[in-house]
Amino acid sequence: MSHHHAAPTHSKFWTPGVVALAFVAAVGLVAIIARYIGGIGYVSNLSTARPWGLWIGVDVASGVALAAGGFTTAFLAHILGKHYYEPVVRPALLTAMLGYTFVVLGLLVDIGRSWAIWKPMIYWNFNSVLFEVAMCVMFYLNVLYIEFLPMVIERFKGRVRLPGAPDALNRAIDSLLALADKVLSKIMWVFIIAGVVLSCMHQSSLGALMLIAPTKLHPLWYTPILPLLFLTSAIAVGYPMVVFEATLATTSLKLDSEMKILTPLTRFTVFLLGIYLALKVGDMVIRKTYVYLLDGTSQTNAFLIEMVIGVLAPWLMLLSPKVRQSRRWLFIACTMVVGGVLLNRVNVFVVGYRPPVSETNYFPSIGEVAITAGLIAGLMLIYRFLVTHLPVLNKPEKEVIA
Amino acid sequence: MGISRRNFFKILSVAGAATATARTPARAWESQAPSEAYGCIVDLTRCIGCRKCEQACNEVNKLPPPDRSFEDLTVLDRKRRPDEKTFTVVNRYYSGRIDERDQLIPTFVKLQCMHCQDPACASACIVGALSKQENGAVNYDVSKCIGCRYCMVACPFEIPAYEYHDPITPRVMKCTFCYERVANEGKLPGCAEICPVEAITFGRRDTLLKVARDRIKENPGRYVDHIYGEHEAGGTSWMYLSAQPFEKLGFVTLPDHPMPRLAETIQHSLYSYLWSPIVLFGMLSGIMWAFRGKGERQEDHEGGNL
Amino acid sequence: MIPKVPAWNRLRRRLTLTNLNSAVPLGLVFMALTVGMGIQLPARAMAAAAPPEAETAKAPEAAAWSAPDQVDAQKRAQEVVPFVAEVRDECKLCRQQRLRDEGLGVKDQSHSYLLLDSPIIKRTEDRYGPVRFMHSKHATITQDCALCHHFRPADESASETVRCSACHQDAFRQDHPERIGLKAAYHQQCIACHEEMAKGPVGCIGCHQKNAPDHKDLVQLPANPEPSQVTSECLRCHESAGKDMLSSAHWLWKGPSPFTLDHRKAVHHGKATTAVNNF
Repeated sequence: MSHHHAAPTHSKFWTPGVVALAFVAAVGLVAIIARYIGGIGYVSNLSTARPWGLWIGVDVASGVALAAGGFTTAFLAHILGKHYYEPVVRPALLTAMLGYTFVVLGLLVDIGRSWAIWKPMIYWNFNSVLFEVAMCVMFYLNVLYIEFLPMVIERFKGRVRLPGAPDALNRAIDSLLALADKVLSKIMWVFIIAGVVLSCMHQSSLGALMLIAPTKLHPLWYTPILPLLFLTSAIAVGYPMVVFEATLATTSLKLDSEMKILTPLTRFTVFLLGIYLALKVGDMVIRKTYVYLLDGTSQTNAFLIEMVIGVLAPWLMLLSPKVRQSRRWLFIACTMVVGGVLLNRVNVFVVGYRPPVSETNYFPSIGEVAITAGLIAGLMLIYRFLVTHLPVLNKPEKEVIA
Repeated sequence: MGISRRNFFKILSVAGAATATARTPARAWESQAPSEAYGCIVDLTRCIGCRKCEQACNEVNKLPPPDRSFEDLTVLDRKRRPDEKTFTVVNRYYSGRIDERDQLIPTFVKLQCMHCQDPACASACIVGALSKQENGAVNYDVSKCIGCRYCMVACPFEIPAYEYHDPITPRVMKCTFCYERVANEGKLPGCAEICPVEAITFGRRDTLLKVARDRIKENPGRYVDHIYGEHEAGGTSWMYLSAQPFEKLGFVTLPDHPMPRLAETIQHSLYSYLWSPIVLFGMLSGIMWAFRGKGERQEDHEGGNL
Repeated sequence: MIPKVPAWNRLRRRLTLTNLNSAVPLGLVFMALTVGMGIQLPARAMAAAAPPEAETAKAPEAAAWSAPDQVDAQKRAQEVVPFVAEVRDECKLCRQQRLRDEGLGVKDQSHSYLLLDSPIIKRTEDRYGPVRFMHSKHATITQDCALCHHFRPADESASETVRCSACHQDAFRQDHPERIGLKAAYHQQCIACHEEMAKGPVGCIGCHQKNAPDHKDLVQLPANPEPSQVTSECLRCHESAGKDMLSSAHWLWKGPSPFTLDHRKAVHHGKATTAVNNF
């Protein structure tokens, strides 16, 4: 059944959870201010040997991977035409849009010259994997904003009431919205496809980033197919991320659990995660890196956790229809998948990164953790704000009637 | 559903086959190394650990004054790395060899940017702020830099350092090969000029390789038969001769192929003329078009909106 | 080191007084000399041209004396001899044997004292003063000319031994990439031999005088310091100088010595043994 209608939830904004989030975000903001006064070195443990740390591993790499719900659901619902799944597209899209926005915010904090972030648009280095990632992220962010526009238009079309503005202005904006609505509905397919193409490009290239450092990345992760692994894992994590986020949102906002959509959705995950698992294991067997598995180093342990708890266990769980139909167990399994992909990104960029000359250890400082946590909290706050005021989430059915 | 999936894979495989036949195999990766590159040979059997190169480097590059005097040789008791205030450092190693008076014979190792022939940092740099110059120097253009530090991730020698404590305009700091002095003033790199024992020999890289091979040949027993940097990471402008195996002197063992080769090969074979995104776009449009009927059949579809 | 301008003045004064000995105004003499000797350095020379007039008028003889050896050495140090491109390729043993056969040895030295102060090195840097090199002393100890004069020019008419700077001039010559420069030739030769023999300085200031900064503010001492306090204050910064000193003859000299007057063997005092300040 595909009858659905997205609407603003209009629920109470300041709950205790939201206050806690706001506190975390405020702490993060203080740390960000400290970073712009004292420099990156003042708040972080980054060094010559460890130039990338928590910010790149979590804010950027994991942020991009976990925003994969946006393009995977768009592919399913709009390109394959499975409109049954449309109710989850909007929240996934919002997650993706906010996710990428915060990726860029995280990048601004991490790069030394935040004010120079526009320079890749002028100075091109086609040899650089990062250049391709940056271009794709830039274009994709714009695509996401355009894809998000209909939700804003739908909310305000015919209802523009700017406080204190003359009628003429309101009417002008209104007709502008109507025009945008008309034009966008004609050309939206271009952006939907572009979103999928751009995602495939930079999701894989994010893995290709580390290919230039074969001596630094632990052999358990360093493989020529790293881009393919990043792409397949991003595709695989898309739907579990939708489940994760929908379950959290519907619980928190006391909405319909949408299990009738989420359960069939995760059938695809069994297949997609299976591909990723097969690639991972096959790569390990072919490159004979299983010899490292039991040497007890922190890298090996992190790899085992990533693979067993983050991929293998949830895959086995999702095989069972019982798990897919139980709200609780589905949430647990999907959380494990999300955690597994997150850990994979952290492993590739932080844990598995072992500079052979200096052999320095790295552990994120309080400042780094504060900024990362603050950004995530900020993202969640904005998510909640937007779903409260824009038609993103599905209305509970009884309210449709009411 | 089953039919649609079969269709989907049919379209995919047809499109894939079409692109495979249309595309000639990706061009082989080619080195961009300059033919006339300058370089340096550091002869570790000559180095006496006087730290004059550090001093000259500091003065030539107008770096901040050091914490401890350049004449203080006790700093050699600790292993150091080049950092944002020091482009070159000398470290002392004891490989266990002793002289006739039972004194351990030290080996001094000067560290600085190796100025790779195909530098990973330059390949990685998002804006091309780092570039290999015709004269061999890997040059840094601060006006392009955005501070992403991917160069530092990419560098197999862990050389580029960063001004982490500058909040707004930090720079990547590394040996410049005295680019300005060599290219515009016709002078020698500061360290090569000052070295009292010519442990650093400056010249064209190909000439230097000949000199180095001759030194190994004409002084049997003095050197290990290995010029570090001849092949490491595809070859570097700075190269080393040593009496001890390089692994014992803190040198990292590296593959002989240039670091950027794999990533650039993948990158260029996928994205030259943006062929793969265009093909993917076309395929997805086709799929979307093929499935559009199904979409219309299902009700309550909000006019192409999301 | 001896500052350049006074050295020039002294040299010039000597020449003026001994060779010309006339009442011609000194400025003119100086110009004639510069032209005659083909000497460069116009700016510095002209700037220094005025004051010596008054100086010489006062007490010329008393201030002007310097050892004839030193003057001669200074003059020789400034010469740049033509580059020897080709050397005879012979092994060390062959060369030693040949020198012996030809009867060449320590007695044939033409200069017992050299000042290593070549303009070839000065072209690139000037951080340290020139080295005073006791040629005959080194020759006497080693008894082997071929240790340093390890090759001879391929040209048969050339002298059997030539100065270091004949073959070793600029570093990194494109036409002779294998040939080390003069500075490296000196340092490699001196330091390697001193190390091998465990004798003689190996640090910079064992041989060179450094162009030292003003020590007025650097030295921190009480009003009436003990001798040992002074020494330790020096050692606070000049640690390697202390080590070098311990390997110098000044410290090690404590008994019968081949270098004392008439090879007298009655010296029983030395810095390391009976001196008061042997901190």
